[in-house]
Amino acid sequence: MSQRKETGMTRREFLPIAGASLLAGYAGFEGGKPAPRRAFGPSPVAIVKASSYSEDLASKILEGVRACGLDVAGKKVLLKPNLVEFDPHTCINTNVAVIAAAYDVFKTLGAAEVKIGEGPGHRRDTYALAEMARYVDVSKFESLFVDLNRDDVTPVERFADRGEIYLPNTALRADLIVSLAKMKTHHWAGATLSMKNFFGLVPGSVYGWPKNELHQVGIPRSIVELNRIFHRSFAIVDGIVGMEGNGPIQGTPKPVGVLVMGSDLPAVDATCCRIMGIDPQKIEYLNLATGQLGVTEIPRIHQRGESIKSVRADFQLMKQYSNLRLV
Amino acid sequence: MAESFLSARLDFLRRVQNPDGGWGYFPSKQSRPNQSWIEPTAWAALALHGDPASGRAWSLLKSWQRRDGSFKPSAEVDISNWATALCVNVSNAHGENPEKAIRWLLDAWGVENDFPLHTTAKLKIFDPERNFDLKAWPWKPGETSWVEPTAHSIVALKRSRPSQHARERIGTGEAQLIDVRCPDGGWNFGVPKVLGIDQPSYPETTGIALIALQGRTDIAHSLDLARKWAAETPSPMARAWLTLALRLHEIEPPDNNAPLKPDILITAIEALGAPGGNLSLLKTGASA
Repeated sequence: MSQRKETGMTRREFLPIAGASLLAGYAGFEGGKPAPRRAFGPSPVAIVKASSYSEDLASKILEGVRACGLDVAGKKVLLKPNLVEFDPHTCINTNVAVIAAAYDVFKTLGAAEVKIGEGPGHRRDTYALAEMARYVDVSKFESLFVDLNRDDVTPVERFADRGEIYLPNTALRADLIVSLAKMKTHHWAGATLSMKNFFGLVPGSVYGWPKNELHQVGIPRSIVELNRIFHRSFAIVDGIVGMEGNGPIQGTPKPVGVLVMGSDLPAVDATCCRIMGIDPQKIEYLNLATGQLGVTEIPRIHQRGESIKSVRADFQLMKQYSNLRLV
Repeated sequence: MAESFLSARLDFLRRVQNPDGGWGYFPSKQSRPNQSWIEPTAWAALALHGDPASGRAWSLLKSWQRRDGSFKPSAEVDISNWATALCVNVSNAHGENPEKAIRWLLDAWGVENDFPLHTTAKLKIFDPERNFDLKAWPWKPGETSWVEPTAHSIVALKRSRPSQHARERIGTGEAQLIDVRCPDGGWNFGVPKVLGIDQPSYPETTGIALIALQGRTDIAHSLDLARKWAAETPSPMARAWLTLALRLHEIEPPDNNAPLKPDILITAIEALGAPGGNLSLLKTGASA
């Protein structure tokens, strides 16, 4: 029997604990003091049904954006899809139809500028990956898209226990970052949704492929820190077809038929978890984010559109994550 | 045909060189005009070696060397960086002794070789799914080691008349690359298994790893895969790395008639791997 089975830990699960927690305090604490908890909510989260990518997704997204009261007039908007790897047999990435529809919606709503940017954590050739995922089908893609891994950068002070983090100028200059995430399980974080999607804002040119700095700090803590820095955000989670099982890359497609949207990203991710049959209170990054960045408790989320119950579709979980199941 | 492929790339590199002597990743598409970065600058300097443009690039890179001997990724980003290995290659090409940078490389390794990770893996408190005894190189200090920085560091040390200590690091570095090879014979960024499940390799990292493994006799399967991928991959970057790797292994790659991309890294690697390119600057032969 392997030792992994006895301890339930492997290298990547252990690295954040040993590398960051043992040596540099543990997540949720800054300089030995608990991070301040603030009053958030109630936060609107819209669940909009969309059974396929061939539907009029722009209307669906517009419905959700309006239900959440988002105003983008005159703003510089960065659409941040989840482009990780490409495998034609599964559904790793945010579907191009969602990106194209979001682009149209934000232009229609009067955004001063809409760009698309991503910095994949594993693959070097972002443009080839975008081509394989058919992102080039978005009109004027070449001029809209920025490879955030190889963008110019500016230091931002205070990132967890690190003095600073370098982040791409395209993201720092945006008035609003729209996390166009995919609804997926994740073999380290339990689930990857709108907040974890911000890992793609960290430049590989400084931190490498993968962005190991984030693992050293700890995945949950890095998620929260990036969302603290990029707090002017909105989430649109592509749950039309999600990924279950061994996500975020090797899982299997899971049709759910929803788009989940909101300005409070912890609230959006908690809602997605409940739709996926995952208990958000057992997702570490959501526990850290609750009260710091937004809300996750049901009474503090104003559900708009469909109810969670009407769209719930339990995702298959890896054996190691069976304890995450929402009862 | 080959000459025009190469000359088109070298002409492009000369044309878009920044006033400071460096290159950014994407000329005319950067958020800050004329911003130079270490990686495209080092590769372009090698591709253009023998041209005055390469000398200007090396002058810029030298100005980015830190007191600890490492090089920083750009003028504004003041941290030690894996691309120090690339600067060792440029330094060697210009006939200068990169002693301080080599010392830094020899003092750099992944945190998995240190307490507590190494000890806890030895005690089987967790399964690292790779051999933590083998020293390789991280992207930046304080992190675990990965395929790409390891491959470039091996090449840099091999081409620097390695000391006994350097030869030992080359040996363990190569062993680490073999240890993290994926079951299909290629490499991804350095994780062949996650939770016991085999991970796929990628064409671009396979090409990069093979550049470090010149002269080895236990990689025939990997070279076969590289040749297959060089013909099939839709990624110009992957094709450029694979072409370069195959030529360094003295294997004729499939024809690469890819159109010129406005991407300095791809252009420079394509130029190095093209017939008549400065391939010899990366030639190492077998491990010492």
